[in-house]
Amino acid sequence: MGLTAIAFYALAAVAVGAALAVISARNPVHSVLFLILTFFSTAGLFVLLGAEFLAMLLVVVYVGAVAVLFLFVVMMLDVNFAELKQGFLSYMPLGALIGLALLAELVLVTSATHGQGHSALAPPVEGTNALAIGRVLYTDYLVLFQLSGLVLFVAMIGAVVLTLRKRTGVKRQSVSRQVGRTRKQAVELKDVKSGQGLS
Amino acid sequence: MEIGLSHFLAVGAALFTIGVFGIFVNRKNVIVLLMCIELVLLSVNVNLVAFSAFLGNIQGQVFAMFVLTVAAAEAAVGLAILVTYFRNRGDIAVEDLNLMKG
Amino acid sequence: MTDVEALLFSLSWSQPELWLAGFALVATLVGAAFGDRASGPLSIGAALVMVIAATLAALHRPETPVVIFNGSLVVDGFSAAVKTIVGYSAAATLLLASEHLQRSGDRRFEFPVLVTLAVLGMFVMASAHDLIALYIGVELQSLAAYVMAAFRRDDARSSEAGLKYFVLGALSSGLLLYGASLIYGFAGSVKFAEIATQIGDGNAGLTFGLVFLLCGLAFKMSAAPFHMWTPDVYEGAPTPVTAFFAAAPKMAAVALMARVIYGPFGALEAQWVQVIAALAAISLVVGSVAALVQTNIKRLMAYSSIANMGFVLMALAAGAKEGAPAALLYMALYLPATIGIFAVIQAMWRDGKPVEDVADLAGLARRTPWMAYILTALLFSLTGIPPLAGFFGKYAAFLATVNAGLVWLAILAGLATVVGAGYYLRVVKVIWFDAPAPAFDRTGGAVVLTAGVSAALTVLVLVVGAGAVQSWIAISAATSFAAPPLP
Repeated sequence: MGLTAIAFYALAAVAVGAALAVISARNPVHSVLFLILTFFSTAGLFVLLGAEFLAMLLVVVYVGAVAVLFLFVVMMLDVNFAELKQGFLSYMPLGALIGLALLAELVLVTSATHGQGHSALAPPVEGTNALAIGRVLYTDYLVLFQLSGLVLFVAMIGAVVLTLRKRTGVKRQSVSRQVGRTRKQAVELKDVKSGQGLS
Repeated sequence: MEIGLSHFLAVGAALFTIGVFGIFVNRKNVIVLLMCIELVLLSVNVNLVAFSAFLGNIQGQVFAMFVLTVAAAEAAVGLAILVTYFRNRGDIAVEDLNLMKG
Repeated sequence: MTDVEALLFSLSWSQPELWLAGFALVATLVGAAFGDRASGPLSIGAALVMVIAATLAALHRPETPVVIFNGSLVVDGFSAAVKTIVGYSAAATLLLASEHLQRSGDRRFEFPVLVTLAVLGMFVMASAHDLIALYIGVELQSLAAYVMAAFRRDDARSSEAGLKYFVLGALSSGLLLYGASLIYGFAGSVKFAEIATQIGDGNAGLTFGLVFLLCGLAFKMSAAPFHMWTPDVYEGAPTPVTAFFAAAPKMAAVALMARVIYGPFGALEAQWVQVIAALAAISLVVGSVAALVQTNIKRLMAYSSIANMGFVLMALAAGAKEGAPAALLYMALYLPATIGIFAVIQAMWRDGKPVEDVADLAGLARRTPWMAYILTALLFSLTGIPPLAGFFGKYAAFLATVNAGLVWLAILAGLATVVGAGYYLRVVKVIWFDAPAPAFDRTGGAVVLTAGVSAALTVLVLVVGAGAVQSWIAISAATSFAAPPLP
């Protein structure tokens, strides 16, 4: 068994094990942490496949942004998570049966591909992975790149429209008012007589 | 033993199944539901990158990049809806969804 | 062609999309500057831009399919027809929505922006020519729709509808995507044109991928057994948003389904025809039977839309040559009636609050006769009573199905029509013969206009339009799926 095989089995085992832990952990904070572990090991698998750029992206986007967002929401919502776990076991037998059937079918179907294509460890195109993606992303896939920008735009508008509230009674900085005020409004000169003070 | 395409696809299939399975067993906890959806999308990325590497064709990796982008957007929208739901109900249990009946 | 020329050529064929995208960005800036005061003018502007985009799409109908942006999108007669229908129906529902939201105090400038972006997503769906464009189009439309369902953010029912829609929608996107990844792997390309040439006789992987993809799409068009979300989301979402969901996105989902099965998978007809026919049969049964017991008019319309999707799927199962024009004609004649009915539903206000039970319509004929006449005409059209528009759509669907040899499906659809008549006529009976319920509040102009126009379309189509609409659609469809266009 070569080094690649060892690395593959280790990473795959950790990814699948952590994914199982995501759905069965009692505490959602643990779920998020296991999710991060899953992403890390999958990123390792991507490196094995010669897709280092996507591996990096996966770590940056998921661990850096999405997982932190999840953690933030888990901690912000004050929910009794122990209650939510009830009923988990009652769905277990049927769910497990369906899951195993699905998994068996998928593996059967996908294992019918032996001997197709190239070897795994050769990068698909000349040069680095990032170069290969960069070459096509802004040319062949220009319109899709722009459209995915609009997808992010929708997400931004959606998040704002659903959650931003204008609260009254909050002290806010008003830059224009700060800058716009004149010396006359801001400063008052008083002639203080000695021994009398201001009265 | 040589590690081939089907090994990676098996990992993808396992992650996909766990994600779908998680949605069915974790019906009450919406946050874990959202994580299960992320798992499903991750399994798709494993498939795409594995096919891309073995076919020697960059399209799959570009597709995976778009999936990553959209998955991030989806997480943001999902969590935003979850927050409004929590504000209205004070809870996030989905089985309490009985204001409306089938 | 040099790269720049190719880009300019592509852009010249995507003017409708450019209008929509440009307007969405400008409208956001305007909204940010003027706040929610801008929501009324922006809604009118957005509706105008949608009409412009739809008209441009209709006028720029190419004779042969034009593949643009390096094979990502295709413009052909089919996409032109779909964009026209989508654009006009979205504009109508947006105008209605704007009036309703002003009245219920949810005046937010983001609403027209979200609708515009959703329409852009639908245009991309109508033109999708590779798997990535398909996915991004679907997501652009769906993400905007999730937010719109939860738009009334202080209302528990609205957030609940949004949450349900989101969870089930995201799951279906996952299925769709898993299918897409398998198709990519086993065909070796994401481009529809290349998939069509690589597909051969198919193999287990491709079949699996196709089934996953079709399940995801069936969810988006709310075909049974993937319809669970529809009644709840229709009921929980704000009524104008429901009206929007019931119209344009349905057309886009049908179009995408047609694109997939007739385009890259045209050679595997023997495999998908069973799936589509099964979806059609289940939708017809579930939609017709479950609608019989509904008391809420929005839920009733949800089940009605499921049954109608059954008819469209039935038409699609007949194959590209006959099925595509029949499905398009069906949608073109069905959507005005739906929009009109939702216009009337949005006029159902009592004491400053919207009401939505069938019983609230009791005795409408004696309270507001014009509304009763319009609603009756529209319901008769949905039932499929001969002189009205809905009949021609149903007739085309039946004809295509019988010609394709799916007689059992046509018989089932006939039974569904009879059951459907039962619940539509029940509403008509409530309107004309029940003791009057208290009167509704005064209605706004957009409601009257939309309901009137849709009723006029529904009734007059037999006098002037049926033949014209049909031939226009037949030409559009005929120039589309003939041969897989190469990039």
